[in-house]
This record gives sequence, C-alpha cells and structure tokens, in this order.
Amino acid sequence: MLTWAGIICQNGLCITPCHHGREFIYLGGMVVTKSRQVSLRNKSILGLENMTVAEMELVLDTAKEMKNIIDRDIKKVPTLRGKSIINLFFEPSTRTRTSFELAGKYLGADVVNITTSASSVVKGESLRDTLMTVEAMGVDVIVMRHQAEGAAHYAANTVSPLIINAGDGAHEHPTQGLLDMFTIKQYKGNLQGLKIAIIGDILHSRVARSNIWGLKKMGADIHIAGPQTLLPRFIEQTGIHVHNRVEDALEAADVVNVLRIQLERQKKGLFPSAREYARIFGINQVRLALAKPDALIMHPGPMNRGLEIAPDVAYSEKSAIQEQVKNGLAIRMALLFLVLMGGKNIETIA
Amino acid sequence: MKLLLKAGRIINPVNNTDEIGDILIMDGKIAEIGPELSCEGAAVYQASGLVIAPGLIDMHVHLREPGLEAKEDIASGTRAAAAGGFTTIACMPNTKPVVDNSILVSGILQRAEDEGVVRVKVIGALSKGQEGKELAEVGDMVYAGAVAISDDGHYVDNAELLLNGLEYLARFDSPIISHAEDEALAGDGFMHEGAVSAMLGIKGRPAVAEDIAVARDILLAEYTGGSVHIAHVSSKGAVELIRQAKKRGVRVTAEVTPHHLALTDDVVATFDTATKVNPPLRSADHLEALLAGLKDGTIDAIACDHAPHAFEEKDREYRFAPSGFAGLETSLGVILTKLYHTGKFTLNEIIERMTAAPARILKLNSGKLEVGVPADLTIIDPDYEWIVDSKRFYTRGKHTPFDGMKLKGKAVATIVNGNLIMQNGEVHE
Repeated sequence: MLTWAGIICQNGLCITPCHHGREFIYLGGMVVTKSRQVSLRNKSILGLENMTVAEMELVLDTAKEMKNIIDRDIKKVPTLRGKSIINLFFEPSTRTRTSFELAGKYLGADVVNITTSASSVVKGESLRDTLMTVEAMGVDVIVMRHQAEGAAHYAANTVSPLIINAGDGAHEHPTQGLLDMFTIKQYKGNLQGLKIAIIGDILHSRVARSNIWGLKKMGADIHIAGPQTLLPRFIEQTGIHVHNRVEDALEAADVVNVLRIQLERQKKGLFPSAREYARIFGINQVRLALAKPDALIMHPGPMNRGLEIAPDVAYSEKSAIQEQVKNGLAIRMALLFLVLMGGKNIETIA
Repeated sequence: MKLLLKAGRIINPVNNTDEIGDILIMDGKIAEIGPELSCEGAAVYQASGLVIAPGLIDMHVHLREPGLEAKEDIASGTRAAAAGGFTTIACMPNTKPVVDNSILVSGILQRAEDEGVVRVKVIGALSKGQEGKELAEVGDMVYAGAVAISDDGHYVDNAELLLNGLEYLARFDSPIISHAEDEALAGDGFMHEGAVSAMLGIKGRPAVAEDIAVARDILLAEYTGGSVHIAHVSSKGAVELIRQAKKRGVRVTAEVTPHHLALTDDVVATFDTATKVNPPLRSADHLEALLAGLKDGTIDAIACDHAPHAFEEKDREYRFAPSGFAGLETSLGVILTKLYHTGKFTLNEIIERMTAAPARILKLNSGKLEVGVPADLTIIDPDYEWIVDSKRFYTRGKHTPFDGMKLKGKAVATIVNGNLIMQNGEVHE
C-alpha cells in the first residue's frame, strides 16, 4: 500500500486528483515524470479524424500502463469510483461491449448495459429521447454503437454526458483504430514508415476508416486492397494507395490487417460467392509469403475462418489477433480514465 | 389604391434595362414607369438605393398541403415566399394525397386564394399516385390550371411512361418536370459520392446516376418532340448533356438551386441533417460547372426546391432523416452573396433567372415590368447584411444548411397585385 497526499492507493495503482488539480498515475516505487500539454478530459471521442497525434499518443502511453492491471490477480482499482458509464448498443457486439464493460469495472466505475432490442427503442423511442433519458439519470459517459453514420456526433451535440463512439455505421470505430495502433507499436516499435495493408471490405468498414485516419496521422504507408466493388470510389484522394490485387498490397507489408467479409454483401452483387472471394482475395499462407517475413497479422473480429482469412494464418505465430482483444481492453481503460480524470498536465510516475 | 415607388434602380431583364426611375401602381396594375412620376393621393415608397425588380418566381416549392401540414401549409409557405421576396411560386404534387386530378388542382388554387398571400401555381402529377405506373389525368389538370406536370421526388423509372407523357402533353403544351436521378444507382445513398463520402462511410449518390437520368430524359424529349424541364440540376455531366441538347434544338430547360450553387459536400461532415437533400450537395468541380451553365444559359432558372420538414423528422440520425430543407427565405440572399457580390453575375442576369426565365418555362404572364401587367414586384436591398436565423422563419421547416450564415442582399418589400404584402421582413396580413 502506498500513500501520497493523504490518499490511500491500493494494488500499486492510484490515479487521483491532487490539490493543484493535476493528476498523477502511480505505479510502484520508481518515479519518472512526463509532462504534456495535452488533455482529453471532458472530451467526447467521436473518431480519429478529430484526434491529434498528441492526443492519440497520450492514449497509447496511458494504455501501456493500464495493460499491467489486466494481468493482476486483483484487477479492481478505485480510480473511477462514483462515475457511471452506460453502454448503449444499438447493434450486436461481443468484444467491444464486454471490453468497455470490463474497462469501466476494472477502474471502479458503475457500468450499465442497454441493449436496444430490450429497450424503449423497440417502442419507437427516438434517439434524442433515449439519450435524454440516460442523461437524466446522471451518467458521466455514454459508450454508443449505432448503425447510422454520425450517430455519435448527433449524441454529442444533443446531450451533456461524454460520448465515446463504439462504432457508427461504416464511419468510425475509434477505439478499434487506437487498439490496432497500440498493437502495431507493441510489435514494431513505432508506426512511422510502416507499410500497412488493409484487406477486404473497406467500403462498409468503420474499422478501416478509423485505421486510415489514425495511421495516416502517425506517418504509416497505407495500402488497401479487395474486390473493387468493396473499395470506396475516390478514397485514393485521401492519400492512400488503392489496389484491386491483394498481392500488390501484401508485397513487403509490415502489417496485414484483414477485415471481416459480411456475407450479405454477396446478395447485393458486390462479389459473386464466398468460394470465389476466398480463392482470389482471402489471406492464406501462400499470399502471406509476399509480405515481410516478420509481418504482423491482425483482424478486428469476428472472423470468418476460411473466407477472408485461412485458419493457419489466424492462429499462426505472426497473428496478433488475441493480443488485439487484450489491448482493446487497455485502450478502453485508458480512454475512460483520460476523458473522466485526465488533467491538463498529465504527469506519469512509473 | 395607388402606390408610387420613387427613385428605385429599376431592373427589367426582359429588355435588359437597368435605370433609376419611378413606378406608379394603380388598381393592381403597373400604370406608369418613368422618371420623376407623381400622382395625387398615392402612397409613396421611397426606393432610392434599392432595386425594383419584377416579382421573383420560384418554380419549385413544396407547400406540403394537403396532408403534410406538420411540415408546411399554404398559409405558412406563402408567407415564407413573401418574406423571401417571391410573388409567385409553383407547388409540387407530392402531397398526401398526391395532386393527380383536377379536383385537387382546383382545391389548392382555391385554398391559396383564401389563405395564401402570394400567387400559387400548381404542378400536377404525371402518374396516378406518383406510382410511376399509369398516366394521371394530366390534360384535365392542365385545363384546371396546372402549369406543369411532374412526379417530383421520384424519378420516372419507367421510360415508356415518360415517353407517353411527353407525347400526350404535346397537345396541351405543358412541360414535364423531371427529378432526374436513377433510382437503382442513387436510391440507397444519402450524400454525393466522392472523397468526403468515402471517408464518412455514407453510401453515395453518384453523379453518374443523375447524368444517366438526364441523358434518357433528353433523348425521350428529342424523340417525341416533347418538352422536358430538368429540376435541380446538380452534376457537371448533366450540365454538359443539357448544353449539347439545347444546341441540337431539343426542347429542354433546366433549373438550379441556391444550395447547389453555394455549398459543397464538405458540409455533410458535420452530420447535420440540414445538409441532406436530393440530389445531394456535390463537390467543387460540379459547383463550378453549375455556375458556368447558369451563366451561359444552359441552365435557365434558379429555383430553391423549398422542401420543409417538421423538426422531429429532421432531428434524427443522418441516414434516417428525410431529404430537403426550407429555401424560400434564404434563396435571394444566398444568390446575391454567392453570385452577385463575388462579381460572377450581374443583377440583371440574376433577376432574369429568378423572374423572366421561370415565367417563360411555365408560360406565366409575369416576370416583366411593363405598363398594364399585374403589379407583382420585389424591392431588393442588394447590400443589406444579415445573418440567417431559422427561428425567425415563416416556414415551418426550420432546418437549413445556411443557418447562422452571414448573407449580403435581401428583399425588403414584396408587392403582389399592387399590395405591399411584405416590408422589411414582416409579412402583412
């Protein structure tokens, strides 16, 4: 047990406001102080389009420390005690929702899940009224997933709790973008200059868009590939490389991020069959040999094994897919901490 | 009642004149135009420093009555028109029920007479219920006063229906107004397809969907000898197709909206549903082509596609909100700000496209300043600076992408049939 400024810190970690309104992260005995002129406190996280490099780096650095907590025997810390978080999910989700729920709970917040299929939304309640109802209960953060692009922006403009976008249609999924960056950094050291291939259904993918916004700002060299029908027209104007041959994107890639293919796209005529997709665009060992020998394999999940990714690739030692899930939890802990408790000058004492 | 407009800058695009003078209005008609007029007992409107134009005409307005009064009705919509400087508006038939028979045409005209404050012209539906299947009783509607025929809001997907409509209407000399966007290509999109939509993840309505639709409409007009008017042209491809068709002598006319001339798809990045409209706000290259087309006469008229919706309908997620927004009260201000004060168009050119051009297309006896015609006039202060505040709109549709925007130029008086119905933004009963 450590004490500082009269506040008891348990489990080796204590994050608490000090008397000057600045915040400190405690992690054990040695002291390293890092001062930043950046803060996410009281900011909604709507997308990586709106985040600066300094803000993203703050999240990544904070997540590194949060990750240590996940492996502990007793994970709960009192940092966000008294804060309440609502998971408002209008679309199905396993990993993102669970991840946010555990992130809030590990940090001591109260977390409530609302699944819209069992809420007043089925009675036709508007998004405004649902949000205002949640607001009236005094919640601090609304984590929201919604099928409509811009729904998180709408929420942030409509109610006072902070909004964390957990996916809005095909627009953005910022926590996935951050956890992907975090994972790449973990294995590759940094992001600058890396060739990153994003493969599959870019058109309908919020994961792809958050990756593109974030990684571009971090200086990575982004190549997207897939059937031309699943690549957004005009996206090359944003300064990324677009290929309709998967092989061209894989060539000497440092990272291969494989996206989920939704089978309903086939019904709309965007590709002829699952079999053909796997044969021409699927990531298997033969195609992967085009990438760098130490290439990292990523997938946001849930996977269609044997369709967009071969099982022997997904479970290979190059795969960071499991690590992505763990990192997702760390990133969400970091974000919840930073928007609720982060200070103007964050001093990290490790 | 006599009204004397003194010392105004009289702009009459029909003769391309622009000179200082007076206008005397007697018994609802223009009695005299000239310098230094005087008249015993006439009320005097001091118009020095102001522009006197023929009453503005908007040929593309949704008044929403009958059936959709939460969005707008004839009383509120015509007051919005008066506030915006319009003396004549033509209303689209996509109401509930659809205006697809002569009784409804007569009914709207009668109600406009009773409750409206500006002149209302009616556009009848091309197909019964606007379902795109059977031809509505278009001849009967023209006889009841319909000035044009349109399935606006929907593209006439069935080429045979449009072909039959064009041939049948030749007898009645009435144009078909086409909302030209191919449904299969644009139907499930919510904004212009381009670099912005690519990164917002919003399904696009590609410009080629409009090009294809316009091309087909032109070819059918050419084939039948019928007259087609392309509503709210928004793509550069459509502009070029219309330009070429006019050169070949095809009976095609076109209009463009202030919002397509003033805004690009960048504004959608806010996800403000006030930016959602069909056809969508496009990229800058399209906007430039529209300006060029309006300048060289390829596009004849400016029409605002006034499409108000109730607050709760627009207060939604972007993809679920209806398309369209109010336009009558910002149209002139936006046009003067973006076209006149940038030096791209003269006042004469602008007024022509907002008066004489729509009058020519709809064959109205207005849009001109001459002795003996009904005294419909708009008095404009081209240098009046104001900030758009939708809360003060007369229309029920409070959503507009121009909200909060600083504009330069405004109608300061609207005269319909010799009556001063709007002054300084206030509509008189």
